Amino acid sequence: MTAIDPTTLSAEVPVHRTKRPDWLGLALALALGIVVVIPLLVVAIWAFAEVWRYPSLLPQEFGFRFWQATLARPDVWNAMSLSLRLSITVTLLSALICLPAAYAFARMDFPGRNVLFLSFLASHAFPKFGLLVAIAGIFLNLGLISTFWGVVLIQLVGTLMMMIWIPVAAFQNVDRAMEEAARDAGAGPIRVFWSVSLPQAAPTIFAAVLLSFVGTFYETEGAWLIGAPEIRTMPVLMITYINNQIVVQYGAVLSVLLWVPSFIALMFTRRLVGSGSFAKGFGV
Amino acid sequence: MTDLASSGTRRTGGTAASNGRGLTGLLLVSAPVALLGWLIIYPIFNAIARTLLAPTETGTAFSTDTYVRFFSDGYALANLWLTLSVTAVCAALLLAICLPLALYLRFAKSRVAGVVQGLALFPMFVPSVILAYALIRTIGPNGGVDLVLNALGLPKINSPYLTPWGPIIGLVWDNIPLTTLMLVAGLGAVSDNAVEAARDAGARPLALLRHIILPQIGNAMLVVLSFTVLSIFSAFTLPYVLGPASPEMMGPFMQRTFSQVMDPRMAVTQAVITFAICAVFGAFYVRSIAKNREARR
Repeated sequence: MTAIDPTTLSAEVPVHRTKRPDWLGLALALALGIVVVIPLLVVAIWAFAEVWRYPSLLPQEFGFRFWQATLARPDVWNAMSLSLRLSITVTLLSALICLPAAYAFARMDFPGRNVLFLSFLASHAFPKFGLLVAIAGIFLNLGLISTFWGVVLIQLVGTLMMMIWIPVAAFQNVDRAMEEAARDAGAGPIRVFWSVSLPQAAPTIFAAVLLSFVGTFYETEGAWLIGAPEIRTMPVLMITYINNQIVVQYGAVLSVLLWVPSFIALMFTRRLVGSGSFAKGFGV
Repeated sequence: MTDLASSGTRRTGGTAASNGRGLTGLLLVSAPVALLGWLIIYPIFNAIARTLLAPTETGTAFSTDTYVRFFSDGYALANLWLTLSVTAVCAALLLAICLPLALYLRFAKSRVAGVVQGLALFPMFVPSVILAYALIRTIGPNGGVDLVLNALGLPKINSPYLTPWGPIIGLVWDNIPLTTLMLVAGLGAVSDNAVEAARDAGARPLALLRHIILPQIGNAMLVVLSFTVLSIFSAFTLPYVLGPASPEMMGPFMQRTFSQVMDPRMAVTQAVITFAICAVFGAFYVRSIAKNREARR
């Protein structure tokens, strides 16, 4: 594992320099802070601005008027409920087919195991949008364009890789000694899996499920290409708002609303994403 | 961490038992494998076949008409060229930004490193639609940057919105987290001892970078480059929202050909052309994953 975590590093490496402020780090933090945070801050201000005319640095009037206006729009509620239904369906289906597969890849031996697992990792090796267009060509003949299940299928494919390689790592990291001990104590294979293996792997698997859910919720390309014009998810609605430029605040309010699930994911999965294993899934 | 080979060596038991487990294993992986075959592998071959076989009166015949049309169409070529140059600029910018970041994160020992890491990973959790909107409001005409410049009595910026620089800024922003993570993982191969030894021997930072660090992360850098090229070449949302309307990048171009021009065969042809261009990077990417797995065996 690569130690990004500075605390473990300092424990291993003797620090023989004098303690002085980390100017480089502070400069990097400041630069990143400006680049990363400011665009989002501008959006957050817009969401609460009632009147903001150029060239005032801050809005002339703050308020919640546009929150009411945005939330009163039926297209927002339709898109929200559709997006939630899509994400829940896709995540459940993905967990249902991928988690057993991940367990098999991690712990069982069967013909073609390495080649099949490699082919999941290799599915990143194609330009995604081109692939979507190729799939759309097939869906056109099958009548799946502009249907709920067409979009489910396309988004399900998008979750495959993450829902397989992260859980595979989780199942491989389960402590074998504890499983053997349980088996020696007379527990059957299913009991061992349910009471020993699964609880140990659960936090990582939960993170993978959460990342899949959030990833599906924000998935735009597939929904746009396969779902148009009937299936309008939140991100697709957001793009139409941006293109039509109707009221600036609608987009801002939606952005702030949409950012909530992503913030929850950030809280729960930062540890997983920051670990070296996450990057290893991409072949480094 | 994801090395499959290690579990194989621990397996004990007879052939009959392992045959049974072999079947169970295959059965468990069959659903995602079938999906992978149907919606990733089959569409690629289908796309190639569909574009090269044109329907005629007597059935289907080999034809390269759509490819000829693509490569003789100035507009299509301009789109391809724009995509290639945006990809090149993004890749260069990403390496220039993320390599110093990754080097800092790999060797920093201060508390600030945690903050830098958090900020560098942050864009991963911002969906591209929100990013696109935020960038319009920030660097678009009369956006946040213009407001600040105006307040300081400076002239407005030449807004990158709806120019190739719009998607470039967006794509670089979006790709910083993964690029940094992959580079940090690659830098894990560089041992602290080697760096300390070279530093004690009086090596300057630049010499250290050139002779100790870069040779060891060459492979990681190429993987990062391949991955970046693949993801930027197939970007849609950011080029569509932030980019110019004409010429347009390949993502929006394919989408428009498919949904508005209603010419699926041409759209799929464009897709196959992007596959062909990315094939080298894709092949390198797969080879690198395979080699890494070999090495951990």
